[in-house]
Amino acid sequence: QAEVEETLRRIQGHRGVIGTIVINAEGIPIRTTFDNSTAVQYAGLLHELTMKARSAVRALDPENDLTFLRIRSKKHEIMVAAGNISIKITIELYVL
Amino acid sequence: LQVFDEEGKDVTPHPLFHADPNTVVPRQGKRLASTVHLGATGSGSSSTSISNASTAESTSDETAEPGSRRDTTSLADVQVRREEIEEELTKEDLDRRVDIYLSETETLWILEMPPDVVSVESEAAGRVVERNKIYVDICKTRPGNDRFVEKTMQTINGAAKNKEVQCDRIIMEDKGVMVTSWDLSDSFYGLAIEPTSKAEGGRATSGKSSKSRTAKEHEQTSIHSAYHCSTTSSPVISDSAALARTHEEEQCPSEAILRSENFQQHLFFMERILMENIFQPKLAAYRQFPVLIDPDVTSDTSGTAAAVKEAEQEEHDRGKKEEQKEAFTDPSILSDLNKTPEETVPPRLEWLWSYRCDLTNGHSVSSMAWSKVNPDLLAVGYGAFDFKEQKKGLACCWSLKNPMWPERIFRCEHGVTALDFSTSSPNLLAVGTYDGSVAIYDVRSCKDAALLASSESSNKHTGPVWQLRWVEQDRGATGDSKKERLICISADGQVTEWLIQKRLDCPDLVKIKRTESEKKKLPGEKGRKCEVLISQQAAGMCFDFHPKDTNCYLVGTEEGHIHKCSCSCSEQFLETYRGHKGPVYKVTWNPFSTDTFLSCSADWSVILWYQDSQRPILTFTSTSAFVHDITWSPKSAFVFAAANESRVEIWDLSVNIFNPVTSCLASPRGKFTSVLFAKNTDCLLAGDGEGGVSVFEVQNLPAPNSNEVRCTR
Repeated sequence: QAEVEETLRRIQGHRGVIGTIVINAEGIPIRTTFDNSTAVQYAGLLHELTMKARSAVRALDPENDLTFLRIRSKKHEIMVAAGNISIKITIELYVL
Repeated sequence: LQVFDEEGKDVTPHPLFHADPNTVVPRQGKRLASTVHLGATGSGSSSTSISNASTAESTSDETAEPGSRRDTTSLADVQVRREEIEEELTKEDLDRRVDIYLSETETLWILEMPPDVVSVESEAAGRVVERNKIYVDICKTRPGNDRFVEKTMQTINGAAKNKEVQCDRIIMEDKGVMVTSWDLSDSFYGLAIEPTSKAEGGRATSGKSSKSRTAKEHEQTSIHSAYHCSTTSSPVISDSAALARTHEEEQCPSEAILRSENFQQHLFFMERILMENIFQPKLAAYRQFPVLIDPDVTSDTSGTAAAVKEAEQEEHDRGKKEEQKEAFTDPSILSDLNKTPEETVPPRLEWLWSYRCDLTNGHSVSSMAWSKVNPDLLAVGYGAFDFKEQKKGLACCWSLKNPMWPERIFRCEHGVTALDFSTSSPNLLAVGTYDGSVAIYDVRSCKDAALLASSESSNKHTGPVWQLRWVEQDRGATGDSKKERLICISADGQVTEWLIQKRLDCPDLVKIKRTESEKKKLPGEKGRKCEVLISQQAAGMCFDFHPKDTNCYLVGTEEGHIHKCSCSCSEQFLETYRGHKGPVYKVTWNPFSTDTFLSCSADWSVILWYQDSQRPILTFTSTSAFVHDITWSPKSAFVFAAANESRVEIWDLSVNIFNPVTSCLASPRGKFTSVLFAKNTDCLLAGDGEGGVSVFEVQNLPAPNSNEVRCTR
């Protein structure tokens, strides 16, 4: 339990990481470093996307499962660690 | 079937169907006999016409044989029938031969419908024909006849009544599901794998029906339940686990998520991937991927990759083409790699990254060791060399995938002065500390406790353990299997071999017993005479086993002498090499040309020896600083690295024996205390006094052309 906190803190403390969100299975953020509205927005959008991605992966091979999803955009990179009961999202800014 | 009320009266309901008793009697008889077996006090029959006379019927055998049934020859009264059956049956009756007579009963008329047609030949035929004719004539005369009157009739039209009925509105719901192939396979495999546990889990869920479960989308529930089931090993455990989990989830779902191991793993991955993002160019350089600047050029990473382990590296490389603008480092430096190493470009050390974190800041790196199976796993021991600077020691395992936080952290009471990974059991890490004790850790577990420790052993060293190594040796006598021994040398002058009594499967701390067979006393020498052996023990600083002949090894002492010893002869040295004027910190055999070895000492010099000659062959001095560590390059017979206090130097004997070919300065305060070459790539690791281990890439070092020994004379 303490390790979880520690790792979470380390990840959040990295330079370049804008924030992290932990989402439960219904798409509701349970722990976040953003403000509420942003967190809810990210959670809603990315939850849907993750479900879709997982559906795609599993449809191709039912024994496979989604583990990680990364979305690179011009400004940021969004990293989603997908699990069965929770999803963790980290948003990182490219450091020049 | 008999029903009795309180007084014993038979109140068996009569059957509604009254069959003809004559036909039914045979069956009834059998039933009578069979119902008597209970020995009921009063029993009647359920026969229709028979009243329930409660006569005591004798107990007859349950399996009333047909033989006991009398035949139904006549239309005898049923009473008679019953009496006959009331006879007591005895054993002899059963064996008695019984005759059964079958006969035909009377014909029973059930239905008689006389026909409307008669045969032409019957006697009534004539009359019927005649009557038919009369009828036909009458029908012909009907139209104008007076005897026929037309009369109309009207049926009654009953009054019609409308009755309307309206039912309740039927609420319809549309439910749609997207069926995907994995959904089907989940349900299928979930049922197949653990049908009982699924039932139990289902029971548990239905019992508790936590809201988090029911609120899931339909597509999720089947996945979750299947996942849930497949993670359980036995139905019993799954039941309690399911209950526990649902209960927990009901209480605080978010806490459960944060506590779950799954989440931990995701965090782990996330951190690794973040690291990869941050360190990607450095890691790519470490792996010796070519760094491409031109986005149009298609990359060909497979050719030059030394060891492609992670697929993400490749995909990163391709991704790197697109994100040139966000390069972490100046690409122009790395573009040097594109040129083949030529003699004109001098070799240089490029700093890639540094293994350091808050935990290790302030500790001085004392030793480093690669894991024998995983060339990316590095164990670093932290501890001070000086007596004055002692603090608690630390041994960390760093992985290439996460340069900012060690994978394993083992805290020790005293400063760590030596460590080594085992070859035969690659998860064992032996750590020697400043107080002379040796501990063995299992790097598979994350616990901070040592697997075995020698702190309670009575035979432990009394001085700091300066070096320890797992050595594979043939035991000769006990068969041909190579056994591995843990050998260490300490400042109390003893080279000892530790035996591990119990194999490390048991988690208790077990004392390590030490054999006495190898205790060596290193005599110091006063003066420069060679043949005097004094009993005073000299402190041993380092040792190294011969790469080919595992019986012979070198020992470096604090007085500056190097002794060649053999395992088979523990009293005397085979040779003594004198040349250093200060304590010898490190001695290593050349891995390629096994007759030469190198030693470094605090007298600012590094000396190359030939094992047959007692005088040094070459002496390398570059700065006026202690040389803490030296190591040969695993790729070339002529290259070695040395850690002076303020610099790390690389010497190439084929090029220049007076000066190092390249060196790298540390930060002004820091000093380098140990060096290590990487085995699978051209990198050099240097540990410094601040607790960081810097990784340098060695560029443009000429590759060895031949493996021949060149004796530098």
